[in-house]
Amino acid sequence: MKSKRYIFIWLLVVLLILASGVAVAQNTDKAAIDVFEKQVKSYIELRNKVRENAPKLSKDSTPEQIHAYRTRLENSLRSARPNAKRGEFFQPATADFIRRTLKTEFQGKDRQELREKIFETETQGVVLRVNYPYAQTAEFSEMPATLLTKLPQLPNELRYRFVGRNMLLVDRESDVIIDFMPDALP
Amino acid sequence: MRNTHTRHFLFALLISAILFTPAHAQKLNGHSTAPLNLTLPMKDGSTRFAVIGDTGSGTAQQREVGDMMIKYHALFPFEFVLMMGDNLYGGEAPQDFEKKFAEPYRALLNDKVKFYATLGNHDQALQVNYENFNMNGKEYYRFTKGNIAFYSLNSNYMDKKQVKWLEDELGRETAPWKVMFFHHPPYSSAKAHGSDGQLREVVEPIFLKYGVDVVLSGHDHVYERMKPQKGIYYFVSGAGGKLRTGDIDRQSGLTEKSYDRDLHFMLFEVAGDQMYFQAISRTGETIDSGVINRK
Repeated sequence: MKSKRYIFIWLLVVLLILASGVAVAQNTDKAAIDVFEKQVKSYIELRNKVRENAPKLSKDSTPEQIHAYRTRLENSLRSARPNAKRGEFFQPATADFIRRTLKTEFQGKDRQELREKIFETETQGVVLRVNYPYAQTAEFSEMPATLLTKLPQLPNELRYRFVGRNMLLVDRESDVIIDFMPDALP
Repeated sequence: MRNTHTRHFLFALLISAILFTPAHAQKLNGHSTAPLNLTLPMKDGSTRFAVIGDTGSGTAQQREVGDMMIKYHALFPFEFVLMMGDNLYGGEAPQDFEKKFAEPYRALLNDKVKFYATLGNHDQALQVNYENFNMNGKEYYRFTKGNIAFYSLNSNYMDKKQVKWLEDELGRETAPWKVMFFHHPPYSSAKAHGSDGQLREVVEPIFLKYGVDVVLSGHDHVYERMKPQKGIYYFVSGAGGKLRTGDIDRQSGLTEKSYDRDLHFMLFEVAGDQMYFQAISRTGETIDSGVINRK
């Protein structure tokens, strides 16, 4: 009778330890996402200021107006972040969360399909360098819809992208690489 | 004298040999066109439109598809054109918009035919602001024509926000016909890309829940009409400017009709509960036609 009680208490302790471990991991992930979202928010504030100086773009622009807007935005964004460096957004805890998400999301058959899709994308000419534009002639990899539902939601001004196994954070309109994470894909 | 005759004879023989080598004969055939043959009923008050995909190569073949569309437009005056993405390959400088879009379809643009685009994996985001793509500054948008609601989605980036927008819009949709168009095909028998399983996993349940009728896409540079999948009609029309000859996997079990020997475009006519379609090759040959009855 006494030994049964000990086993029960022991099991309870093990369960509590496991549960607290999961809770700690969840809290760590939440903190990492919060930091990431804070960085994103301050980028958007900076971007909005920069954008005020770019020529306005209407919904029915000519190719010349689009070209002028894009060039001005790209140059202004690069000048506004002269000391931008890798890892500013994908800080270690955030990178760890994203890597785990990718690993969990793409296993077995899905992993193979994802890898084929990513690696067939023609990204020649893309130089992985923060604050430099994604090559205009290169193709964009499709971001798997199932994955996007698991990653932190980005505002409309930013996009996740893959180049090979690397994950990028890119400004949507100017295609300036804001940050990147090497070897993100399993 | 005899030598001159012999030289002329040999020269003529050489020219004939060049002209009738298989490669050249094929090129000549490429320029010959079939007589126009409209299979659509041209009913009073119907909604008429065309579909093109993966067009923006700026090649002679793209222009030839454009020329054939112009000929058919005289016969079947479609009001607008849906573009399945990859609207501009390579650079997107102002001259690229001209060469890869405006020039091949100039006569249609002059006739006030409206183009509605969707973004492909080769398209930069700012195309949404281009005056002739009618995207109203949005990567995904909805518009209606007659009794049809058209939804252009951005399949490059199907994030939570877009999924919610789609569900909200479809939830209050009142148009009888619901037609989706976007770049990546949820179903495709092409070997180059094929079915996009991850996209399908997210969008198909929504399409089924809200009774989507037809899904149009590109990406694979072929023509394919699937057998209805869970009651939805799927088309791949991705050879308006690029072609992948022989790319269809005929063992996929998905195909109702396919064509991978030449570039093509499509024509649609919607009258009441019937949607008529016709797929036409670059040279004017009808490669598929039929009618879809609304559920």
